[in-house]
Amino acid sequence: MKLRALGALAGLLLCVALPSPAQTGPAAPSIWLPQADGTPTGLRDLRGQVVLVDFWASWCAPCLKSLPQLEGWYGELRARGFTVLAVNVDTERKKALAFLKRKPVRYPVVYDAEGWWPEQYGVGGMPASYLVDRQGRLRQSYSGYSEKDLPRIRRDVEALLAEGETR
Amino acid sequence: MKKTIQKSAMAAAGLLILLTATGCTMQPVKAWQRGDLARAEMAFETDPMLSGYRRHIEFSKEAATGGPALSGGGCGCN
Repeated sequence: MKLRALGALAGLLLCVALPSPAQTGPAAPSIWLPQADGTPTGLRDLRGQVVLVDFWASWCAPCLKSLPQLEGWYGELRARGFTVLAVNVDTERKKALAFLKRKPVRYPVVYDAEGWWPEQYGVGGMPASYLVDRQGRLRQSYSGYSEKDLPRIRRDVEALLAEGETR
Repeated sequence: MKKTIQKSAMAAAGLLILLTATGCTMQPVKAWQRGDLARAEMAFETDPMLSGYRRHIEFSKEAATGGPALSGGGCGCN
């Protein structure tokens, strides 16, 4: 009996002493879609980077603001391992391309006219963004675009970038 | 015998109604499909000029009641 109690105590102490597991989240659905030139691109290719998966469309007025914002962050933080994977959901690609001509971005843009991947992510509004950590885990989600939310999103991105840098 | 046939027919009719009723279910428009609603061909009136003309006529005829917008509008002088 004593032995059993000791064992339980040792187990409990071990649980406390072990380092807590890294913050976790579910595995992000692995996007696999073509870019404008046909090159298939997915989250697997971006493993090791902090990725902001951004669902957008040419008819989505707030995207006129969100894309340049993300482009700015990409330019600023990509050296630290940050990238954006923009998933366009327009049914007509020419509209998306015309939009990108007006608001060019350097990060990868893939096209999902069928709307398969927004369904997998459970997108509830446009634009919608999902923050994926370096291990490919879904850590945060954001629906819509508001300038008020930008500092919080930026903090989340910085926190995930710092996670990889301290290891 | 006749009753059995009647019962079977009723059951078959019920099943048919159930099956066809499934076609009436509504699928809500998903966030990424809303662009389709914004397309010109989805508008009640596809010609903007004709639409503007009709609104103008409607407004001049119904101005006392606020035209096509809220009722009770206008200056209230007529």
